[in-house]
Amino acid sequence: MNAVASSREQVLGRIRAALRGRQNSAATAGQAAEAYAGLARDYTMRGELTVRACQERFVERLREYDAEVTECAPEELGSTIAALLAASGRRIFVAPHGLPAEWLAAGFEWKIDQDLPAEEIEKADGVVTACFCGVADSGTIVLHHSAKEGRRVITLLPDWHLCIVRASEVVETLPEYFDRCQVSGIRGQKIGNEGTREQGNEQTGRPPGLVTWISGPSATADIEMTRIKGVHGPRFLNVVLVKDGEQGPGNRE
Amino acid sequence: MSAAAEQTVLDRAELDPAKAPPFPVAALPVLRNVQLRKNVAHAIDVIQAKRARLVAEKTDWQALRAAAAAIKDHVLENLGAYLEQFEERCTAAGGTVHWAADAADARRIILEILREEKADEVIKIKTMTSAEIQLNPFLEAAGVRTYETDLAEIILQLGEGEPSHIVVPALHVNRSQVREIFARRMGIENLSDEPKALTAAARNYLRQKFLLVPTAISGANFLIAETGGVVVVESEGNGRMCLTLPRTMITLAGIEKVLPRFQDLEVMLQLLARSATGERMNPYTSLWTGVTRGDGPQKFHVVLLDNGRSSILARKKERQTLRCIRCAACMNTCPVYRQTGGHAYGSVYPGPIGAILTPQLEQLRHAQSLPFASSLCGACYEVCPVKINIPEILIDLRAQVTDQERKTAGKFFDPMYVAMRSANLIFSRAWLFHAAQKMGRIGSRLFTRKDGWMHSLPSVGAKWTLTRDLRGLPRQTFHEWWAARERGAK
Repeated sequence: MNAVASSREQVLGRIRAALRGRQNSAATAGQAAEAYAGLARDYTMRGELTVRACQERFVERLREYDAEVTECAPEELGSTIAALLAASGRRIFVAPHGLPAEWLAAGFEWKIDQDLPAEEIEKADGVVTACFCGVADSGTIVLHHSAKEGRRVITLLPDWHLCIVRASEVVETLPEYFDRCQVSGIRGQKIGNEGTREQGNEQTGRPPGLVTWISGPSATADIEMTRIKGVHGPRFLNVVLVKDGEQGPGNRE
Repeated sequence: MSAAAEQTVLDRAELDPAKAPPFPVAALPVLRNVQLRKNVAHAIDVIQAKRARLVAEKTDWQALRAAAAAIKDHVLENLGAYLEQFEERCTAAGGTVHWAADAADARRIILEILREEKADEVIKIKTMTSAEIQLNPFLEAAGVRTYETDLAEIILQLGEGEPSHIVVPALHVNRSQVREIFARRMGIENLSDEPKALTAAARNYLRQKFLLVPTAISGANFLIAETGGVVVVESEGNGRMCLTLPRTMITLAGIEKVLPRFQDLEVMLQLLARSATGERMNPYTSLWTGVTRGDGPQKFHVVLLDNGRSSILARKKERQTLRCIRCAACMNTCPVYRQTGGHAYGSVYPGPIGAILTPQLEQLRHAQSLPFASSLCGACYEVCPVKINIPEILIDLRAQVTDQERKTAGKFFDPMYVAMRSANLIFSRAWLFHAAQKMGRIGSRLFTRKDGWMHSLPSVGAKWTLTRDLRGLPRQTFHEWWAARERGAK
C-alpha cells in the first residue's frame, strides 16, 4: 500500500504545485465555497409551459425516441396496465417489492423482486415499475431505485419495461428535476409536498445515491449512424401517464 | 477470402503518440483511402445535422455553455480539495479510491485488484481513458481476457482495429466490413449486413458474458465530490450491464472529471448528449455511489489517473483543455478531421481536442506535429459545450514546439529560422524594410509571369510554390503612392 499512498501524495503534490500552493488551507476552503456559490447560472431553471402543454411535450418526446405512451385517468390505471400486459403477448413479469398491489394484474405470472437471482430476472418477459420523476424537455424517466422502482437489474434484463408515471411527477426542465431531489440545492430551495414521496433520499436532504436516467429504449448508432432500437437494455419501453391532476412545483397553469 | 482480408479487415493504426508518425505522414494513406473518407464523412454529416437541430431548439444554449465552463474552471482551480472530498465521500459509501500518477501506475493498480479477485476475464464499458493507458494489451499479456461491450468497441476489438473517434470509435468502418468481422470472429454463417442484424449478433455474443463474468471495468463521465458518486453516460445498456451484474467494479477516471455537486449535472447532462450524439438525452445515464447493499457490485474501486493532467493545470492558458467532457463535437465539425479521420492523429484522442490534449499529456515530448494539424478556422471553439478556446491553445502550443525546435542543435542554420531571424531584423527597422521592398520588387520581377503571379520560385521558395501561387509585388508601395499624391497636390 506504500506505493499507493505515495502516488496519492505525488498527484496531490503536483496539483498543489501547479496551482501554486492555493490548495487545502482552511481559508481557501471558505473562499472556494463562496466562489462556487457565485458561479453564473443564467440558463433556464423553470419551464414556461402550462401543465397540459408540459405533459404533451413529455409524451411527444418519449414517442420521438421510440417509447410507447398510453394516457389514462387514475381510476383506469389498473385496467390500463392489464390491457397493456395482455396486448404485449407476454406472460411472466417482474415487479419491485414495493409496487402497489392493485398494479399486479390478474392472469399473469408475477415475480416479486426480493433479491431474485439474475438468471430468474433474465427469464422474465417484462417488468413493471413506478418512477421518481419524468422530464418533459428530454422525454426522460428518472429512477431512484426505491421500493416501487426496484433494483437496477430488474429494469435492465427483461426485454420489455412498463413504467408508470404520474402527471404530478412530470417536470418540464432538467433543473426542475434536481430541485425535486434535494432539500437544499444550489438554489437553496425548499421542497414542498414531501408527503407524496414516501421513499428515497429527499427526506434526509441529501442527493440520491443511485439514479438511472432513461430516455427511450436502449439504442445504438454505431454502424453507419443508423439508429437501432434495442441492444442490451430493454428493447421496448412503455410508459403510462396517469393524469392525476396534481400540479408539479415547476409547472404553471 | 483473400489472405490479406483474412488477416485483418482494418488497418491497424498506431495510436501510441511515442511511436506514431507525424500527422502529415500519417494522414497520407487516409487521404488516398476513398472508402474510409466516405465512411467518415457520412457519419459526421449525420451527427452534425442532428446536433444542429437540437442545439437550435435550446434557447439557453449559450448560458449553459458559460455555466459549464465556469463550473469546470472552478473545479480546476480547486482540484486538490475536490478530489480529496470525492475520496472521502466515496470511501464512506463503501468504495476504495486509488491514485495513479501515470499510466504504468494505473495499469499496475488495476492488475493487482484483478489478481486479488482471481479474475481471468473482465467485461469493459467503453473508456477512452483505458485506451489512453493501453490497458487491454497489458491485461491480455498478464493473462486476463478483456471483453469490450460497446458495439463500436466490439467491432474494433474483433477486427483488431483502433478507435478513430471518441464517441463513435468505429465510424470509419462500414456495414459490410462489420459483417465480415462478425461473421468470421463470431462464426456466424449467412449474416446479413443490415445494422439491425449486426446489432442483434452483438447482443447474443455478449449476453452470457454479462451474466457470468464477475468483474467489470468502466470509465467515468463525471465524479461528484459532494457525494462520492460516479456517472456513466451511454446508449446501449452495456454500461448498465457492467455496472449492475458483476461482483466487482473498477472505474478508471481522469482527475479532471470531478464536479463539485450532484446538481451540477443539470448543466452537464443538458450539454453532453446534444453535443455528442445529437440527442436530447442519451438512452441511459447511470449514477452510483460506492456500494449499495443488494443492488449492483458489492466491491467498488475508483482509480484516479493523473498521467500528465496536472502538468496541463500548471499553465493558465492551457488549463481550459481539462474542461473537456469528451463529446467529440469539435472533431465532428473540424474540416481537417473530416478529411483525415482519426487515425492520422496518432492518439486515442483525435481531432481538435486531441491536437491540444495529446501533446500536452505527452508534455511535448511526442506529438509535436499535432498543434499544426489545423486551419485555425475556429469551428471547434464555436461548438465546444465547455467553451475551450482550442485555436488559442493551438497557437500557443505551436509557439512552444517552435521554441523547443529552435533550440535543438543544427537548427540555427535551418533556412526557415535564418529567414525568420532576418525578417525580425528587417521588420523592426523602417529603413531596412523600405530597402528590402525595393530589392524584393526588383528580384521578384525575374519570377513574376505576365499574369502578375509567381508560379514557381527557386531553392527554398520552391516548397512554397509547389502547392501555392504568390502574387507578384506591385510596382509601387502604398507609402510611395501616398508620397507621390501629396507631392502632386502641392
